[in-house]
Amino acid sequence: MKLRNVLTLTLLTAAIFSISLYAQEELNGKKIIENVYYRPTGDDATSDLTMTLINSRGDERVREIQQFSKDYGKDEKSIMFFLSPADVRNTSFMNWSYDEEGRDDDQWIYLPALKKVKRISSDSKSDYFMGSDFAYDDLGDRHPSEDIHKLLREETINGDDCYVVESISKEEDYMYSKTVVWVSKDKWIGLKKEFYDEDGDHLKNLTVKKYDKIDGFWTILHSEMHNIQKNHRTIMKLKDLKLNTGIDDNMFTERMMKRGI
Amino acid sequence: MFNKIIIIPLMLLFITISSAQDLSLSGYARTYLGALTTGESEYSIIQNTFDLNFEHSRGDVYFKVNPFLYHYSDKNLELGLRQVYMDLYFDSFDIRIGKQQIVWGKGDGVFITDIVSPKDMREFLLPEFSEIRVGVTSLKFNYYLENSTFELVWIPVFTPTQMPEASSIWSINPNYPLPYSIDYSNSDVKNKLGNSELFAKYSLLSSEIDFEIMTGYSWDDDPAFHSEKIINTSTGIADSILLKPEHHRLATLGGSFSTTIGPVVLRGEGAFYNGKHFQSTSPLSAGGTSEKNYLHYLLGVDFSIGELKLSSQFIQQAIMDYDDSLINDEFENTMTFLASMDFLRETLNVEFFSYIGLNNGDALIRPKVTYDYVDGFQIMLGANLFLGNEGQFGRYDKNDMIYTKLKYSF
Repeated sequence: MKLRNVLTLTLLTAAIFSISLYAQEELNGKKIIENVYYRPTGDDATSDLTMTLINSRGDERVREIQQFSKDYGKDEKSIMFFLSPADVRNTSFMNWSYDEEGRDDDQWIYLPALKKVKRISSDSKSDYFMGSDFAYDDLGDRHPSEDIHKLLREETINGDDCYVVESISKEEDYMYSKTVVWVSKDKWIGLKKEFYDEDGDHLKNLTVKKYDKIDGFWTILHSEMHNIQKNHRTIMKLKDLKLNTGIDDNMFTERMMKRGI
Repeated sequence: MFNKIIIIPLMLLFITISSAQDLSLSGYARTYLGALTTGESEYSIIQNTFDLNFEHSRGDVYFKVNPFLYHYSDKNLELGLRQVYMDLYFDSFDIRIGKQQIVWGKGDGVFITDIVSPKDMREFLLPEFSEIRVGVTSLKFNYYLENSTFELVWIPVFTPTQMPEASSIWSINPNYPLPYSIDYSNSDVKNKLGNSELFAKYSLLSSEIDFEIMTGYSWDDDPAFHSEKIINTSTGIADSILLKPEHHRLATLGGSFSTTIGPVVLRGEGAFYNGKHFQSTSPLSAGGTSEKNYLHYLLGVDFSIGELKLSSQFIQQAIMDYDDSLINDEFENTMTFLASMDFLRETLNVEFFSYIGLNNGDALIRPKVTYDYVDGFQIMLGANLFLGNEGQFGRYDKNDMIYTKLKYSF
């Protein structure tokens, strides 16, 4: 199992789709994505994540995770406890991410069979999270300064007026040649995102199936990533999402990684 | 036999209770078949394993019992409790009491500061690490201060390394110039308070670096084989040797660290041991052993090339104040190398792991392929190849084996 560059799905929501109610004048691609990045999402979050991997034959594999995250100013700490499948139960993963441009996340994994907390590198952002169709960088807190953003047009999806923003990485060998995201104007969450591979071919689509306003924050509760080239799908669903419950700082420690939930 | 009478009904009782109470049940069943590649492809192991975990918590108290059962085609059942302990959780400290596996250090596959739990070496280093470590009945106290942890371990009863039986293919026969016999009268460490083992550790996990500093006052898990020459009264010449295995006190001071430099994780671990006994090349003199201080350390890196995960470690054991009568080299250098890659949405893993003995040019090479047929059900094919003729790996040159394991986790 690869466990790199992972933040919680709550962060996924915040980082990729959500957007604050900034003044709309002079909105360009960069400003939209910066607003996405800096939008307040609550000081902490806890939720149960179910990830269903579906292959081209329709066979399903289910992964269940309990996750906690907490903001420390513009930095964030998160911890995930793997509940299933059985052979990864009690594995935990902790991530400390930083707003500072160019600073890598700190990451650790606890493997119960080894009874050790191991520091791991957060370098492999193109790896896929637990065999899903989500690369670690799809889940992560990608800093707006890493891409060049361009507002392409405005469109309506399922009744939601959206900004359509294209993002191209400044890094030459990045895994995507470009991404295109549809951001709802009134709810300020992303409803769809397209990913194009290094050759410029359409690779996968991320589609939001369900969202809701929880404790004052628009939150995605059900999304699907479809790898068009391989006809894989991954469905992510959030349950029991709680915001601003006052998670103790001790949750994000080696002690809790070993102890579990 | 007594164990079987007690443990099997106990396991059944727990399973029954777990369905009635809020008792968490997990574990695995595994079948393991290994065949030697030399000679007539004789089976080296046919083993069925049932490993259970029963867990229960009530408020800030947690309980775990981990019974296991090994069934061999040519042996009786082997039953035991890998771990059985209770945890008491407080705001800033925890107490764990009972039989427990304790793992320290940042090294992989090497035991430098990881000396609290002894090892089960009956199949050398081939079992999974959760099975190599032997649980010790102990009291563990952990105090937490932000990202720092202070850990104290008191082990009232000494548990030695579990060695293979003399008939095992993993047994090492001492190479003496004369016939020998073994007197085990000094090999036990009596169960009394004064024979306790104590360990302490401070560890920090931070953004810049993780490190541990440890110390221990323990017994050497491996006995020193003291020897006496037996004089033939009629000839007046030594014609045999009497070996007397004995465990000695060992004081240890060590530490380990792990940090990230760009995409590379750099790890290190080292320990200084005071009072280690080494075997002399001259068993007929000076009791056959010599007491020396000794250093054991490693440096390792973990990194990736694309989706290929790579890891390597350099390990050195250095005997201080060395004299030429010792069997061990003054410096023994070993490397480990790991390459691992996932395919098919992480359902197929191909791994290559090796220990390489630099002093003797020997090696243990362990390729394996693991396929998750469905979640929680693994099929594994692998090999353990020993290269060389001498050294800690080369001496098992005749034990090359291929194996398959089927494992169902629940």
